[in-house]
Amino acid sequence: MTDFKKIEENLKKEAKRLLESGEVTVVLAYGKGFDEKHPMPFAAKSVADVDNIVFNEYCNYNMARYLVRYPQGTKIAIAVKAADSRAVIQLIQEEKIKKENLVLLGIPVIGMKNPKTDEVIDSKTTCGMHNPVLYDVLLGEEVHGQKIVSPYDVLAEYEAMDKDARWQFWKDQFDKCIRCYACRKACPMCYCDPCFIDQNKPKWADKAPQSPGNIMYHLTRFHHLAGRCIDCGECSRACPVDIPLYLFHKKVAKECEEMFNQVSGMSIEDKPVLVNFRVEDSDKILE
Amino acid sequence: MLKKTAIEKISQLAAVLMEKGTLLAPVKEVAGHNFAEINDPQKVDLNFYNTIISPKGAFFPPKEDFIKYKIGKTITEAEQIKVDSKPVFLFGVRPCDVKSFSIMDIHFNAAGIIDPYWSQRRKATTIFGYAYDLNQPVDAADFYNSLGIYAADPEGSDIFMVKKDKDLLLKGITPKGEELLAQLNTLVDAGKDDEKYYEETLKKGKEYKTRFLCIDQDVIAKKLEAVFNNNDFWTKVSSACLSCGACTFVCPNCYCFDICDDTIFGKGTRRRVWDACMFTDFTLEASGHNPRTQVYQRLRQKINHKYSYHVKKYGVISCVGCGRCTRSCPVNIDIYSIVEEALKL
Ligand code: SF4
Ligand code: SF4
Ligand code: SF4
Ligand code: SF4
Repeated sequence: MTDFKKIEENLKKEAKRLLESGEVTVVLAYGKGFDEKHPMPFAAKSVADVDNIVFNEYCNYNMARYLVRYPQGTKIAIAVKAADSRAVIQLIQEEKIKKENLVLLGIPVIGMKNPKTDEVIDSKTTCGMHNPVLYDVLLGEEVHGQKIVSPYDVLAEYEAMDKDARWQFWKDQFDKCIRCYACRKACPMCYCDPCFIDQNKPKWADKAPQSPGNIMYHLTRFHHLAGRCIDCGECSRACPVDIPLYLFHKKVAKECEEMFNQVSGMSIEDKPVLVNFRVEDSDKILE
Repeated sequence: MLKKTAIEKISQLAAVLMEKGTLLAPVKEVAGHNFAEINDPQKVDLNFYNTIISPKGAFFPPKEDFIKYKIGKTITEAEQIKVDSKPVFLFGVRPCDVKSFSIMDIHFNAAGIIDPYWSQRRKATTIFGYAYDLNQPVDAADFYNSLGIYAADPEGSDIFMVKKDKDLLLKGITPKGEELLAQLNTLVDAGKDDEKYYEETLKKGKEYKTRFLCIDQDVIAKKLEAVFNNNDFWTKVSSACLSCGACTFVCPNCYCFDICDDTIFGKGTRRRVWDACMFTDFTLEASGHNPRTQVYQRLRQKINHKYSYHVKKYGVISCVGCGRCTRSCPVNIDIYSIVEEALKL
């Protein structure tokens, strides 16, 4: 089992060292919230801030979400769990950030929980990996010997539905959407400014929280994330009405992987799959 | 008049109300409870703490259609959409949320600013307030005591309801409520011990404590005004904020809206939809200039509007401490803690 206290200690130690030496000007980590069950994303900017850092099983936040807020060239240290490190890699591939400006504080962890349900977050709603893919410093023991579960297993039931039932399933889900946009705002890969849905000229979709505007918003967002979503599950966790967005993202990721034989956010050498042309690429997308 | 019914038989009461008009009541959804128009009386579920989204939608729906139009070559046809004035029963509203309606009235239903949609719905609606269950723990996010609101406060309700073990006690508060109560034949008269229980619950409600910030609203309003330019403070408290709309959309007191024309192939609807001061484009001007480009500016606006400008302009805080914004915030930003910290500056 993960030693959360130990990781917290190491996180504080590293944050202190990096800020003290001036190696970085900000450490993106987790801080105290209004109670223990509700920690918050936290940006430590001075040694005095380090005291506020915490780490426990409710620190789900993907801190990569905040990277693009800082001007290019800012030296940043960032705490990354497995999926978060993949988001960093993907952002590097997309040239939004540079590796040389980052210090990755890797957190291998098992047993993160959703504070609303107290369920352990695993491959069902996220990529289910335990160890960061990329890191400079490791803050705990790597997790090994766990049964490997495909993040796509959860799709079985959904894939078994026929086309009409599946369409109905999504129409019902989208009807619930109140268009608060917490999903896109929680997503590390949703950095467009302005987002297509906020544009007026042309206006891509209705503003009212109903179909067809809701369908337009979600289907477009799903496709803008094709080959880019790293399956951190933050969009679904952020949703106040619990729309299982992860199902659609996983389905698109799975298709993408099958077609192009590349998993998002796994190597900084890769090029984003949909902007990279390779002669051997599948033509299935054109069929 | 005090009446009662077994909670088990709540669907019978629901069925009677549905015959008389539209019933809006809590139903269970995947993520928790929400108010919804009831089509099946079995769906009414009083086994909830509070709903995820506030009941403000009963008067100020997320989407309100005003005009349907058809743009022609020479003339444009338009037709105004009228509000349905059928009686509405808003069932199971917690005291803090009942309080929010009177604060919202300032904006939609006061001298000089009568919003016909809000005010017609307000008139057509009978509010069934519902005391919090004093035997259940209070949620850590709530702080309505700070605003002088108590867990079993009948003020503002037409009928006030209290849970007594397996029964529901219903008390007429306004003449409108009394009149309706007398017509509901699935209810039975309450006994002496029920009367006593009801009165005691109202009293005990004052002892059912939420977090408490000693709020002198003028002190807070002045303090927030004084720290307006403390950018370090606002940057710090907003550093986690995602600038989404979750907190304002679930809030019973947020009332900003956007008016838009949704047109397709020359046909369309002019409507208003909820808007949020936390959205990036909320203050975007036609020139392209945006006076609030930073997240801290938006969060500061949200908090100052509720706790400072609103107090100065209308003499009341625009928040009832229902805790929804804290519960729904994806990053656990807590408006109460921010006000508390500002007071310490
Ligand atoms: S779409 Fe959802 S799961 Fe994918 S990267 Fe964005 S927040 Fe994470
Ligand atoms: S977070 Fe949920 S309710 Fe909000 S816009 Fe996204 S899907 Fe819709
Ligand atoms: S600001 Fe938060 S606590 Fe206050 S009324 Fe709105 S949702 Fe409730
Ligand atoms: S306070 Fe929370 S819910 Fe509100 S805009 Fe910020 S992140 Fe979203």
